[in-house]
Amino acid sequence: MIRKVRKAAVIGSGIMGGGIAALLAGAGADVLLLDIVPFDLTDEEKNDKAARNKIVQAGFDGALAAKPGLFYDKKDAARISIGNLEDDIDKLADCDWIVEVVVENLKIKQDLFAKIEKVRKPGSIVSSNTSGIPLKDISANFSKEFKEHFMGTHFFNPVRYMHLLELIPGAETLPEILDFIAAYGEKNLGKGIVWAKDTPNFVGNRIGIQGIGASVNAMLEDGLTIPEVDALFGPALGRPKTAVFKTTDLVGLDTMYHVSKNSYELCQDDEKRDTMKLPDFINQMVEKNMLGNKTQGGFYKTELTPEWKKIRKVLNPATMEYEDLTRPSFPCLDAAKKEATLAGKIKCVLQGDDKGAKFAWKMSVNAFQYAANRIPEIADTVIEIDNSMKWGYNFEMGPFETWDAYGVKDAAQRMEEEGYEVPVNVKAMLDAGNESFYKLENGVKYYYDFAASEYKKVPVSKTMVSLAAAKGNNKTVLSNSSATLVDIGDDVFCLEFHTKMNALNNEIVDMLAQANEYVDQNGVGMVIGNEAGGMPGAFSAGADLSFVMGKIKEGKFSDLEAFLAGAHETMQKNRYSSFPVVAAPYGMALGGGCETCLAADRIVAHTELIMGLVEIGVGLLPAGGGCLNLWRKYVKALPGKTSKDMALAKLFIPVFMNISMASISMSAAQAAGKGFLGQNDRIVMNRDNLIGEAKKEVLKMVDDGYVPPAKEKLIVMGNTGQGMVAAQLFNMLNGGYMSEYDGFLAKRIAYVISGGEVKTGTMVDEETILKLEREAFVDFCKEEKTQARINHMLKTGKPLRN
Amino acid sequence: MRDAYIVQSLRTPGCKQKRGFFKETRPEELASFIMKTVVDKTKNMKAEYISDIMMGCSFPEAEQGINIGRLAGQMAGFPESVSGATVNRFCASGLEAIALAASRVMLGWSEVTMGGGVESMTFVPMGGNNPSPHPEFSATNPENYISMGITAENVANRYNVSREDQDKFAAESQRKAAAARDGGLFTEIVPTPAYRYVQQEDGTYKKEQFIVEHDDGIRESTPEALGKLRTVFAAQGSVTAGNSSQTTDGAAASIIASKEACDKYGLEPIARLVTYTTIGCRSDEMGVGPKYAIPAALKQAGLNVEDIDIYEINEAFASQALYCLRETGVDKYMERVNIHGGAIALGHPLGCTGAKLTATCLANLKEVNGKYGIVSMCMGGGMGAAAIFERL
Repeated sequence: MIRKVRKAAVIGSGIMGGGIAALLAGAGADVLLLDIVPFDLTDEEKNDKAARNKIVQAGFDGALAAKPGLFYDKKDAARISIGNLEDDIDKLADCDWIVEVVVENLKIKQDLFAKIEKVRKPGSIVSSNTSGIPLKDISANFSKEFKEHFMGTHFFNPVRYMHLLELIPGAETLPEILDFIAAYGEKNLGKGIVWAKDTPNFVGNRIGIQGIGASVNAMLEDGLTIPEVDALFGPALGRPKTAVFKTTDLVGLDTMYHVSKNSYELCQDDEKRDTMKLPDFINQMVEKNMLGNKTQGGFYKTELTPEWKKIRKVLNPATMEYEDLTRPSFPCLDAAKKEATLAGKIKCVLQGDDKGAKFAWKMSVNAFQYAANRIPEIADTVIEIDNSMKWGYNFEMGPFETWDAYGVKDAAQRMEEEGYEVPVNVKAMLDAGNESFYKLENGVKYYYDFAASEYKKVPVSKTMVSLAAAKGNNKTVLSNSSATLVDIGDDVFCLEFHTKMNALNNEIVDMLAQANEYVDQNGVGMVIGNEAGGMPGAFSAGADLSFVMGKIKEGKFSDLEAFLAGAHETMQKNRYSSFPVVAAPYGMALGGGCETCLAADRIVAHTELIMGLVEIGVGLLPAGGGCLNLWRKYVKALPGKTSKDMALAKLFIPVFMNISMASISMSAAQAAGKGFLGQNDRIVMNRDNLIGEAKKEVLKMVDDGYVPPAKEKLIVMGNTGQGMVAAQLFNMLNGGYMSEYDGFLAKRIAYVISGGEVKTGTMVDEETILKLEREAFVDFCKEEKTQARINHMLKTGKPLRN
Repeated sequence: MRDAYIVQSLRTPGCKQKRGFFKETRPEELASFIMKTVVDKTKNMKAEYISDIMMGCSFPEAEQGINIGRLAGQMAGFPESVSGATVNRFCASGLEAIALAASRVMLGWSEVTMGGGVESMTFVPMGGNNPSPHPEFSATNPENYISMGITAENVANRYNVSREDQDKFAAESQRKAAAARDGGLFTEIVPTPAYRYVQQEDGTYKKEQFIVEHDDGIRESTPEALGKLRTVFAAQGSVTAGNSSQTTDGAAASIIASKEACDKYGLEPIARLVTYTTIGCRSDEMGVGPKYAIPAALKQAGLNVEDIDIYEINEAFASQALYCLRETGVDKYMERVNIHGGAIALGHPLGCTGAKLTATCLANLKEVNGKYGIVSMCMGGGMGAAAIFERL
């Protein structure tokens, strides 16, 4: 039998259940979403299906309305059917996988599973999303067959965005079941798998909640403020911007409180059990319903003045009053800003000697000790713990990676000097002469396995390609300070950007030209992709504006023209080359980043994709082939000669709107809806596999007998399109929906996309449109208001609408 | 010159664009039905008497193309000898068609003609399916292609028509329309067959017919409730969906005959077309058109504002309707204006509107036992039109 998830059931329609249902629907499964019948129905309502489904309907509607969106594409909602646990429970008999996400109450869960056991088909998988209740208690009364098909699948909130999926085997779960869910979770649901043991709060929350508890307690002891702790445990230490307290506001204090309480009650032997006892001010906050963002106030609060001005406030735990928020600073943080790498920043902060640095060190020691002492209690390897913190808490580095960054030996020495205990397993590792938890040798990443007292290969899936590993294995073939061409095996090469936000500059364009020649001689195809971190991260956030501004300031407009002409030539050369080029965007693919993808032969995109041609925000237009290629993508999407008989306005208007309104997608599915992705482009759920999948696509295209596109003329909208736009812009300007300058830019953009001064339906050379792109770009650069927009973006990171 | 007599004037209900009862009924079906019906409902009338049909339509393309004036006549089962034309003067198309049909009679070139109008804004949207302004002219003179909503904002701004006044006017239009519907006063409406495509049990679809008896856009409201609506054409404006006309599907037709034809066939005249005029104005405030057209028509007819018993002024927008009423002094006789509501409640099916308002005007003249009635409206591009009818 081949296992599949044709139909899945999610029981419990709260925010987690709704999120899991949306994710499963996005992965193509039919989903049955069930919840209880309301207790308080009148006699009349008891026969009314809608009334009986009230709770599940509300949950489903909530999932649809959630912001940020839980669905990649709202159309996926059609795959979900809803029902209640009394009338529809028999439908569970059709389900291949049943996920329980009901309230955290053992009795309720046991009763529910007893019902499920009666109707589920033999062989079907049943899992619980419990975050705290031991699975062995839930499954105590199951039959043997049921136990063999039962496990824990612990998703994180919001389900769509959090990469972590903790899998918890039961004592009797069949290996076949575990393997299947791990593979499905990774490939179809796009999750990062962490194997956890059946211990309270599993891995991520066990470690995470202890870290929060320890920080809150230590903050009071050491006399720090909430914003001070958040400033220290932010990006400088590889933590998310929301740090400790803003993250808790986001998640909800009640959730944090319950998880913490659960740890405290169930982990009787935990050596740091006291840190999980939260100080009294937190109890007061929960009692007073100061639960964070969902109650409009937690540790932080935003107040509005009568003039609708926002004032940020923060809680003073001593007085329980909100006070005006001022940004704290520490010398160690200022020094860290100058460091280029995260490892450098971490060292800088932890080795500082100000009050903040000392606190950060103390908390890091706590984290090091706690993580190391949890192996093998909650997980077998350092990988599981590091991954759970990266994927479930958005840390850039887990505790062991952070320790590696500091230097394991140095940190251990300092700990001993200062009277902190070094965990036994780490001490043993150091004593045996092993000085890091991870190491890279010949392109293979190893981790130190405490149980075996030796390094072992970090397991990777077959489709995964790691650029870092390849580069570590002398597979770099060309490189400059902005881009690198890496041999990723099977005669496929990957062009990697590695600038800040992967912004495009002249070095990248140079590298693209060199890569083209190299791959033409030595390879079968090219992937354009990178593995920069962050959530959502940036494939490329656009062109390097400081380069453009520099040329403007020097008045070297002909340089700009020449730069663009070179970029266009390279782009066209790649497009019409003998080999396929596949772009692998994820996260932000904006402006030039989007253009890079549009110019490729094919796109293999991660499902989280913020894609758009946003140049108008800085007073420019897509001049890296974006105008040409988006239009071409629309026209070529039509079969045969259809475009010749078509009212081109139906294509022209959406292309023009995408560019002139700087329209962006919030998922790959939306990017397809806006025409950035076409019929041949693919969506990959798991970002870790993205470059590997893009490579597979290259190899498939080669295997199919790659036929480079023939150079053809392109039908254009001509000046009829310009007429349409002129009339419409007049209305928008009059309505005050657009600034005068946006109108000016939009008019010229319409001129470029429509092919310039030609009759509608004319076939023009691609180079004609490229020439118009360049001219418009340079003309825009000469405009004062464009210069103001660029300067504003460079200074503030936000667009100026002048 | 001879007199031209209206012997019949009727309309279909007006139904909301894309959401109303006519959303699956093609414009030819509406037009041919009303053409056939005006003939059938007129004592002693036969289609073969008609020499020509003038059919108003604002966007005569696609479903409304291929000369719907002729085509709908043939669909109505009229003899081949009955010719037909499509007339476009935007929102006055239906009135223009009646005036042209009447002129033929007045000149002695025809004895019996038909004038009417049709618009399915569902099938052919305002602006047409493929609006293609001239590239250079639209760059230098974009106001010639201006959105109607912006012109309404311009009128409100330039001539100080407040949001409150617009919303009061709109609520009043809805109130009057609801009262007229409930009181059975829309005697000019003919229950009209509409179609819908209904999924059958086996999954296939069948076209089914049903009858529509009333305008479906009437929605009573208060100025306060309307005051909460957001503006749609300008961020800081005053024109909303609530104080603008509704986009609507509908058709209307009138039969026009000479005195000789009436005598010969035994047709009974109900009214006489006294005069008709059109006049241009600034396109970016096209709504002011009636301000010029109404006095011009009155002057041509030698009549004064107070002589008119029924005013049917198209409510393209409350702002322009109010402004024109104030400027012409008609606001002194509000009890004679749009007595059963106007386009804000009943809809504005562009090219049908002139023909529809003629039917309404004649029915209302009869109801109040009045003598003279005016039909007037503004037009995109900057024009006003007005016709005066005398009830017999």
